[in-house]
Amino acid sequence: MTYTISAPPHKKEKITFSSINRSKLLALLPVSIISVYFFGVPALGIILAAVLTAVVTEYGIQLIFKQEVTLKDGHAAMIGLMLALLTPPTAPMWLPVVGAFFAIAIGKHAFGGIGSYIFNPVLVAWVFIRSAWSVHMTPASIPHTGQFSDLLLENGAGLLAGVSLIALLPGVYLIYKRYIEWRVPITFFLTVFFFNQVIAFVTEIIHLVQEGVLNPLIYLSTMFIFLELNEELSYAMIGVVLFGILFLATDSPTSPVTKKGRMIYGVSCGLLVSVYGYFGNYVDGTLYGIFLANGITSFIEARTMPATFGQESILERTYDRMMKRIPSALKFEVISDD
Amino acid sequence: MESKRLKKIPEKVTIPLKQHDGTICEAIVKKGDPVLIGQKIGRSTSYYSSDIHSSVCGEVLSVEEAPHPNGNKVMSVIIQPMDSMETVEFVPKKDASSEELVTLMQEAGIVEHYGAPTHTVLRPEGKQIDLVLINSTASEWIGGKYKTPKEYASKMIAALKLLMKVAGASKGAIIVRKDDKESIEAFEGVEVNGKALEVAPLVGKRRLGHYFADQGSNIIVASQERIYGKKILNFFTYNVTGRKVKIGCDPTDVGVAVCGVKSAKALYDAVHEGRPFYETVITVHGTKGCPEYMLVRIGTPFKDIIEACTFEEDVGKIVANGVITGVAQYTDEVPVTKSTTSIILLSKEEVLRDQSLACIHCARCVDVCPVSLVPSRLSVLADQGRFDECRQMNIQNCIECGRCAVVCPSKIHILQLIRYAKDAIAKAYADAAPKESSNLKLGCSGGE
Repeated sequence: MTYTISAPPHKKEKITFSSINRSKLLALLPVSIISVYFFGVPALGIILAAVLTAVVTEYGIQLIFKQEVTLKDGHAAMIGLMLALLTPPTAPMWLPVVGAFFAIAIGKHAFGGIGSYIFNPVLVAWVFIRSAWSVHMTPASIPHTGQFSDLLLENGAGLLAGVSLIALLPGVYLIYKRYIEWRVPITFFLTVFFFNQVIAFVTEIIHLVQEGVLNPLIYLSTMFIFLELNEELSYAMIGVVLFGILFLATDSPTSPVTKKGRMIYGVSCGLLVSVYGYFGNYVDGTLYGIFLANGITSFIEARTMPATFGQESILERTYDRMMKRIPSALKFEVISDD
Repeated sequence: MESKRLKKIPEKVTIPLKQHDGTICEAIVKKGDPVLIGQKIGRSTSYYSSDIHSSVCGEVLSVEEAPHPNGNKVMSVIIQPMDSMETVEFVPKKDASSEELVTLMQEAGIVEHYGAPTHTVLRPEGKQIDLVLINSTASEWIGGKYKTPKEYASKMIAALKLLMKVAGASKGAIIVRKDDKESIEAFEGVEVNGKALEVAPLVGKRRLGHYFADQGSNIIVASQERIYGKKILNFFTYNVTGRKVKIGCDPTDVGVAVCGVKSAKALYDAVHEGRPFYETVITVHGTKGCPEYMLVRIGTPFKDIIEACTFEEDVGKIVANGVITGVAQYTDEVPVTKSTTSIILLSKEEVLRDQSLACIHCARCVDVCPVSLVPSRLSVLADQGRFDECRQMNIQNCIECGRCAVVCPSKIHILQLIRYAKDAIAKAYADAAPKESSNLKLGCSGGE
């Protein structure tokens, strides 16, 4: 009788690269369907053109360079679909074709394929076609979440991804199932959310100072600004921003691997997006912001390599040093560790 | 829950002369000799060794090289058993002195599950032990040895006292797993020196030192999260006691001896019944009809244990000692040794056939790593042979738990690559002279 021998572990989790991609494709299905319902045939045409071009380009490149054909993992299809969702429905049909070709050929394969590219291929292609054919790529309107129904169906949507905020929520389920990691989206979202609150707070303080108010209670009462939602937030909480948070920023090769690094990356994404969005608009802001944040990923990663276990952080070390100076009579903790 | 004994006496028993780390034993029987149960058949030739005993009554067929569950071939005594339960006379030594206990342990062949002979852990040369820990955080070492939980708890405490006596340590602790209700219930309220004990949870920055003072006892029971892996000792020691063990050193350097439940039980048996270590409890997974815990004689081939179970499909893979870190066997002739804790059977369909892809930097391995390494980067560096960079990233902290390779969506053999790098580093620095400066010597214990 023969037995298989191999190195441990002998049982592994079922998750694979292709199952991650397939789950992302499934999660993007609702928003694609709603965009087709909302924009009609042009949206369907754009989605099909982009996905098909991406798949054909990948197949062609891998054939020409005699690589193993990896269409089955669904990565090319995912890139194509994401690019289509970032295109306005008014764009001519050749635009997503050029974009998807650029995403796969330059964005992905020129940088070395899966796991090696430094900029998200979707954003590479988007930035390229946005700057090259800005007439076609400028959305007809910038959405604004004014009422509750806008969350379900956004009438002012300029890009395909912006049609519905609710339809993007399957991405949250993917975080829950750990197909997408949680640190980047959460810190990203919180930064975007609080950026506007802080701006409103600071504006109010400056306003009071200019008026020459001296009563400290009035200054303190400005803290209540944090309780009410800022007007600016209705421009930030739109479909494209959520799409960026859930699907673009979390693209794994372009975000750091260290735990601390992912937090910092999420915050820097949020800051870049908010700054652009505050002065410009949040649709372009999200995409350019994440694209810029991709550029500092490797620096963040190199700076946040974890120390050996049991190593104290600077804060802990300072705390311990301070506690040692305090005479034991003043401490509440009587039982020491040794 | 008590384990079932494997009733059938195997056709042929293979007892390796090396079931521990250290020097191999010298056979003191030859072809044709009759042996009894518990008779010594291998004599240790140095301190770092432990005697080997026969587990059956029968006749020695040969002394030759035979397969060992660690994958190599090792000099073994092969015995043809007879249907007889005749044993050598067991002499209990209840009031042995500390020195006598050390020789007793070596002669009874008591060995830790991770390989080191127990007496060398408790009495390391040139080091002083002041704290003895019994690690029972992996349930397969506990289960199936005792009839009732209370019996288990009181015997464990008695065994811990014996271990402390041997080591000359003043303190001792038993570490159980947080979610292991059975053991926690067993230890809750056990009386030590006339005082009831509570199971102390190790949370936050509270380590054992806190509870020793808090409970006013020199023996305590603490609970913590499960830690598993091949090289957990240093991490375990840090987690439990807060004492840092330097890379390349072991817990005995900071005065801690880590023992397992198996060796504690074996010592208890050796002292109270005079029985040497020739039987062990193993778990068998992957079968429906099998009793989960089985009491088997050391040297029983895996074949007989598999036969005793009703495994419906063809066996595709036999794994000794755990599905995550265990060694896959190429033959079912390999015997159970002192360090075998479990046997896992996988059917032909369950055998993994994955292809490694490029790393997608999903950071799942970073999230699961218990010792905060970056396995994805380490595996790439190890693959390219950049071992010094691995060393700078603290690769030697790795406890080889294999979780990174389990969760990897690209199916990269991370654990294998990290082991490869660790071995290469260990070889490269094996004969490097210890660093010395004018006023202090940097060894395992000093330098802080």
